Amino acid sequence: MELTTSGVATLRRDRDQAAGDAEAADAALAASGDGRAFERLYRVHVARIHSLARRMIDSDAADDVTQDVFIRAWTKLGTFRGDAAFGTWLYRLAMNVILARRTTLGSERGRYDDSEGALETAARPGAAPELSMDLEEAMSRLPDGARQVFVLHDLEGYKHEEIAEMLGIVPGTSKSQLHHARMALRQHLE
Amino acid sequence: MSDAWTERLSEYIDGILPEGECVALEAHLEACASCRATLDELRRVVARARALDDRPPATDLWPGIATGIGLAPGAHPIVSLARRRARRRLAFTVPELAAAAIALAILSGGAAWLVLRGSKAVPTATTATPAPMPMLVNASAPGTNARYAAAVADLERALEQGRGRLDTATVRVIEKNLSIIDRAIREAQSALAADPGNAYLNLHLAEQMRRKLELLRRANALAGARS
Amino acid sequence: MLATLATLTALALGAPQQTDTTLPVRSGARLEVENFGGEIAVKTWSRSAVRVTASHSSRDRIEIGASDAGLHVKAEGHRGPPHVVDYEITVPAWMALNLSGVYTDINVEGAQGEITAETVHGTVNVSGGSGNVSLKSVEGVVTLEKARGRIDLYSVNEEIKASNVSGDLTAETVNGDITLRQIESSNAEANTVNGDITYDGTIRDGGRYRFATHDGSLRVSVPEKANVAVSVSTFNGEFNSCFPVQLTGKAKHRFNFTIGSGSARLELESFDGDIKICPPGAVAKEE
Repeated sequence: MELTTSGVATLRRDRDQAAGDAEAADAALAASGDGRAFERLYRVHVARIHSLARRMIDSDAADDVTQDVFIRAWTKLGTFRGDAAFGTWLYRLAMNVILARRTTLGSERGRYDDSEGALETAARPGAAPELSMDLEEAMSRLPDGARQVFVLHDLEGYKHEEIAEMLGIVPGTSKSQLHHARMALRQHLE
Repeated sequence: MSDAWTERLSEYIDGILPEGECVALEAHLEACASCRATLDELRRVVARARALDDRPPATDLWPGIATGIGLAPGAHPIVSLARRRARRRLAFTVPELAAAAIALAILSGGAAWLVLRGSKAVPTATTATPAPMPMLVNASAPGTNARYAAAVADLERALEQGRGRLDTATVRVIEKNLSIIDRAIREAQSALAADPGNAYLNLHLAEQMRRKLELLRRANALAGARS
Repeated sequence: MLATLATLTALALGAPQQTDTTLPVRSGARLEVENFGGEIAVKTWSRSAVRVTASHSSRDRIEIGASDAGLHVKAEGHRGPPHVVDYEITVPAWMALNLSGVYTDINVEGAQGEITAETVHGTVNVSGGSGNVSLKSVEGVVTLEKARGRIDLYSVNEEIKASNVSGDLTAETVNGDITLRQIESSNAEANTVNGDITYDGTIRDGGRYRFATHDGSLRVSVPEKANVAVSVSTFNGEFNSCFPVQLTGKAKHRFNFTIGSGSARLELESFDGDIKICPPGAVAKEE
């Protein structure tokens, strides 16, 4: 499923103008085949892309997906028109790759298993209850569907209507999945 | 805990609860300490989520990416990183591009476009889907086997001659699926050996043999070969 | 003979290239797009015109041949074969489409005419289509929805999915599942070697249905009030039914039963997998 321009989420980080200009210059250089310029872009954005892949799919596939995203970005640099920030363009491309990969990995089965059992498993306290569990660790224990809705809404800032279109569900499901994810995660933040 | 009030808390936090329900919920919250506590917990989850930092991968992925896009010296063209499916190739050798161009011409069913250097070779328009093979009533009969084996051998020979013009991704997919069909054929033959007159097993074996021929024909069409 | 009324060339130096052009078309015109690598994305509008936007390297140029028969779009490499081209094309909904590529993903949304889409390594994802709809890939998922007519779906190494489709339907792959939902058909066939088949659609009086796999399960919906003669064949699998059936014939690895008048024919074959029939809506893909 392709993201349309209306589905782009606002990046949470602000970029100052100088960094933006340098990045645009690197993108132009990379588009003409400059590998070092592309590596600079990679270094700037890999944490963001890898985190997105890790949270939306899982840690095991995140390295693979991240490499796919950057390789795809290299080949599609010719289509980067510079009318948006490079990071925005890259993020949109990454989201398309991740959404497509999500389907390939067959995560549709059991995607919306919002049975009490599935969420309680995620909510079980960790071995060291005196430490609040890393939120990412807790997120990774959520069922795929609930986790992906949570990531897209609370981390990435998408609205339920947008999430519904991206994941092929109805907005009502997105709302209930989000709520169940939050309810499961709260037990790890004591 | 799951009740009608708790279910609304997330929408309330996000500001998307309809006004009438907001009013009702707020009235309930005044009276329900448990729901207030849950609301606070949910707000903390949201706040923690928004404050989450991005983390880079544990290992540096750049060498793999550089190799993948052909920047490292002596690097092979892009190979797929996904185990299950090869995505499109992103850098090609000239013979591979030519091979794929032949495939495109064949797939298009026409001779209008063939991008080979200076070549105006026009392949015969070939449909990618061959006519279905006549149903074999007794696929295990010796005469039938000989005819089938001859047809397969012809196609395999043609494919061998033409496969140098196919890119490795296509060859890999074709070979993988031929082996899947071959396994099905072997299993059907083995079952039939124990029950030679069985109508279903005969028809099933015939079906798998047809599938093999069809795939070989399609592969040949992609390679531009003529059997 | 293709008379080129307008051939448009865009050749830039240096920067990545974007081609964007709109051409009027007459009723009945066809669109043909040949790509090598990249994407072909087609959507529709109410204008009698075709808009072609293409993102490509500056070393390639897009050629659009226009005639009374329609438009033919392809890319030419400045030196050697072309590189990756991503097309976004907007066409009148009635326009027939013939789209082909090698390392190409093909997406069509909202088309109401005939569609032929073929790729080798890439997905084919179509929403819409009527008349002859033929979608093929070798290594790519084929997905179709909201189409009607004579439907042919082929893949080799991936799955096929069709939903909300009416008409005669054939779906065939080697290494992949076939999932057919909300199908209205009197003639449906699905065939895979290594994969499951799910059919949740009509079983009409007088219809012919055949679902066959070698190594995989079958899940087929059969209304309890249907009129159908069912033949079940399996070598190493089990048969289950959500409702009671009365066998009318039994041979080794095959048995038959009839529901109602037996007017339709349903053939279910799985060499090494389970076969299950249930009422419509209850058919769900198992883990």
